[in-house]
Amino acid sequence: MQEAFFRADAKTKEIFLVFLKIGALAFGGVYSILTFFERELVKKRKWLRHDEFVESVVIGQLTPGAPIVNTGIFIGYTLNKLRGALATVVGLVLPSFVMVLIMAYIYIKYKEIALLKAILKGVGAAVVGLITSVVYSMSRNILKDYKSITFAVIAFICLAVFKLNPIVLIITAAIAGFLLYGRSAEWKS
Amino acid sequence: MEILKFFWTLFYINLFTIGGGFVMLPLLQREIVDHYHWLTNKEFIDSVAIGQVTPGPLTIMNVFIGYKIFGLWGALGAVICTYLPSIVIVTIVSYYYLQFKTSRIVNSSLKGIRPAVIGLLAAVALTLGKTSLVDMPTAAIAVGSFSIIAFTKLDATFVIIGAGLISMLIN
Repeated sequence: MQEAFFRADAKTKEIFLVFLKIGALAFGGVYSILTFFERELVKKRKWLRHDEFVESVVIGQLTPGAPIVNTGIFIGYTLNKLRGALATVVGLVLPSFVMVLIMAYIYIKYKEIALLKAILKGVGAAVVGLITSVVYSMSRNILKDYKSITFAVIAFICLAVFKLNPIVLIITAAIAGFLLYGRSAEWKS
Repeated sequence: MEILKFFWTLFYINLFTIGGGFVMLPLLQREIVDHYHWLTNKEFIDSVAIGQVTPGPLTIMNVFIGYKIFGLWGALGAVICTYLPSIVIVTIVSYYYLQFKTSRIVNSSLKGIRPAVIGLLAAVALTLGKTSLVDMPTAAIAVGSFSIIAFTKLDATFVIIGAGLISMLIN
């Protein structure tokens, strides 16, 4: 599998245009974008095989930052080194960057108008529902035994009640995870 | 020099957070809202919504936050500080990816991080809920959107746009 990477057979401009298209059309978060990746890069252009695509997704999730951007950078790098990586980031981010700027401008200018206030009131409530649903789906995948449930409950209390710094909490959880799972074979699961 | 503090905040959050935009919400909320008071909780929620309804990653919401506090320079700096850590780290990882994927330290640490993140995110939902859920209609919208996103395949983008429209009609 490793040899298949680093083909460097795609032009920087071509990479940029494909990712620009994905960045402009992929509404709806991670799964939507991954579907676009698969269709454009694996099926249509055959820049990657399916197993390589899966590895790219895993790399994207194991590195800090936005997973889909990271997956893009990894694919871009394998296609055309650093230039490919930069082409993917700019392509992926540029369309939403422009859209967010326009929305921010409208938001600041018309914030006091009753219509926008009414819309944002409902949107705010929906965001709370959205975050709760992320908590729910992550819990179903990750909280499988009493150890992981304990981690989650302690983190919740530390932030909700004691207002401790989340970065410190995440680093502590990483160290605790290493101490708890690092020496046994459990870390592979 | 407020703007440099803002850029630094985005940079280190993106450098240290594995797991994506939602995982960053507890850290962003603490720095942007609780610590520096650059935004209110209400404005923070609006920035999450805008990040969600635009295509691409949720972390693009940082551009909205940057523009809201510091104008165009804030927006430009935000996009750089959000994605520069990814470019550097993923490029390095691309070299060593096989060793990285099977690393004992990385994997055991992640086993601790993942459940802790759920707890942190639940705490954020609680804080933001206190701000956003002010009456029966908003509570109903929150429960409704939770149910739709959690139990159907309908996209979160449409749920948020739908919630905005419903709220517009009610008020």
